[in-house]
Amino acid sequence: MISEVLQLILVWVGIYTVVNISLNVEYGYTGIPNFGRHFAVLMGAIAVGGILNRVLMKLLGVSGDLITGTTDLVSRADDLFAAHPVYGIAYLVVSLALAFTLGAVMGALFILPSSRLREDYLGMTLLAMAEVTFLITYYTPSIMGGYYGTSVPDPLAFLSGDSREWTFIGITTLLALLVYLLSERLLNTPFGRLLRAHRENETVVLAFGRNLMGIRINASIIGSGIAALAGVLYGFHALNLISSSFSRVEWTFYPFLMLLLGGRGNNRGIILGTAIFVTLKVLIETYKFQISSLLHLPFEPVWLEYILFGIMALLILYYRPEGLIKEGMIKTEPLKKREAGQ
Amino acid sequence: MGVFEGALTYANLLALLALGLTLTYITTAVPNFAHGSFAVIGSYLAYTLLAAYGVNPYLAVIPAFIVGGLIGTVVYQLTIKPLIRKGASVDMLMMATLAIDIILYGILGAYSDFLSEAFKRNASKFVFTNIDFTVGSVPGRVFVSTALVIGTLIGLYVLLYKTKFGIALRASMENPALAEAMGIDVEKTRLFSWFLAAALAGMVGAVLPFLQETVPGTGGFIIVSVFAASIVGGLRNIAGGLIGGYIIGFSESMVTYGLSDVLGTGVLVYGKVVSLLIMVAVLLLMPEGVTGTKLWRRLVG
Repeated sequence: MISEVLQLILVWVGIYTVVNISLNVEYGYTGIPNFGRHFAVLMGAIAVGGILNRVLMKLLGVSGDLITGTTDLVSRADDLFAAHPVYGIAYLVVSLALAFTLGAVMGALFILPSSRLREDYLGMTLLAMAEVTFLITYYTPSIMGGYYGTSVPDPLAFLSGDSREWTFIGITTLLALLVYLLSERLLNTPFGRLLRAHRENETVVLAFGRNLMGIRINASIIGSGIAALAGVLYGFHALNLISSSFSRVEWTFYPFLMLLLGGRGNNRGIILGTAIFVTLKVLIETYKFQISSLLHLPFEPVWLEYILFGIMALLILYYRPEGLIKEGMIKTEPLKKREAGQ
Repeated sequence: MGVFEGALTYANLLALLALGLTLTYITTAVPNFAHGSFAVIGSYLAYTLLAAYGVNPYLAVIPAFIVGGLIGTVVYQLTIKPLIRKGASVDMLMMATLAIDIILYGILGAYSDFLSEAFKRNASKFVFTNIDFTVGSVPGRVFVSTALVIGTLIGLYVLLYKTKFGIALRASMENPALAEAMGIDVEKTRLFSWFLAAALAGMVGAVLPFLQETVPGTGGFIIVSVFAASIVGGLRNIAGGLIGGYIIGFSESMVTYGLSDVLGTGVLVYGKVVSLLIMVAVLLLMPEGVTGTKLWRRLVG
């Protein structure tokens, strides 16, 4: 039991760290209030459930469409990956690469109509576009199974039980770490400082002859590409993709909450925020029946979860808008040298 | 129900919602992401009155207006006002309204579970369409929704142009800083705009189930159309909400009905694509919306 809870916490910390850092690139660094984060995560899911599932069906000669053929596809692919782990690993790598590409391209298109706008318009437009994409994917089963859902093959089918779980946790954590290091690196370049300058004062950026639209589109490409990776990780965690899982609450509101909790513009704080939030969420979900009977709730405990996390967001906004760990100075080379010298 | 009647009903309701959203945007400078959920509060109030006392939902319009307004006031006092006092930025305020939306969604969901248990009937989704009255072959919701728009317009006209408070309200919508310098209590006008916007939304909510199935998450679904309507109409002008509401409402319903012949029912969602496309076109061609164009200014004077 404890081991299962721990596994869930670690998997979700990994997945959410990837999403939250992607949001940090867009919102934390660049100041784009992307209230449509679930769009890019959904793109990652489509890359696996919609595109790669079809490719695998062709390759393995599975008949039927995405919904009728999914069981057959998964059993054949799992057999193949169990016999040849190399194919499984290749499948994982291709999934991640494809998701990143799709996320990045769609992210660029996603922000294009609103890239000239002020932040409030930007937030509204991004939310509206993501929400409509979510609804279309849900009501159109031919994209990735819609409300029926579709299963995905397990790239780690050569492992089973606990060793599969721990290996997957290892991969997720490794990817999260990689995303963390890359985004830290990104911030320490002239481009990263440009992103922060854009957040602080757009007029100054313009005065220095930089292109605002270009900055926003680039930030969205990077952010959406990274967020799409989380869609893949989630897919291989759940091994089943139902479009309704990619809701605004789970993939936009919660990431914003974790970002706020940890500290905007600060990746280390965000990891801390993610760990705290995920632990709370997993504990609530694991013990929901106990909570429900203890408090005599006349309703599903999930509603209580929404209310609690909503209130938590408001409290953070009011009492600690800078988060647990405040954003620090950018560690440039001269600064590092001076610190080392002292 | 004819295509036109359905489209008119939807457009009427959407116009009232967009009017409220624009009103709070002008006074508080934040797009309220929870505006759709304010409407669903009205829907559940009407449902409760119907299930418990057999009250016709059309009569519930009045209590829905009052309760919606009170909740809007409380929400503003407890969340938005303290944040504005602390000098929160626009994106912080947007996030606050997003959080409010989640809280309201949670409360509505919990309440619907509670209702289902209390009345032994499924309250997680419901319609009022089957209890609507008809005049000739025209369903009552067409008349009621039109009457609500006309009533709101008359009320707004009297309020804005015939009362002292209305003049103060208009002044603080035009130029909050100048209005404040003239001794107008901008705080009061903000509070009032949240009351009115939420009250109108609650009122719309009581009628909405006559038109479409309502669930606790309906607010998150309808907000897309409301945003599209407000942006198309122009967020700087209170008339923009109305105009955008009719443009989006009619085009969304017309296309949905047109497509349902080809694709069958359940195409409601594709109507949203139309709203989105119109919104994107407007953002690219006239970012200030219809009421922000030169042509509009010339027409209105």
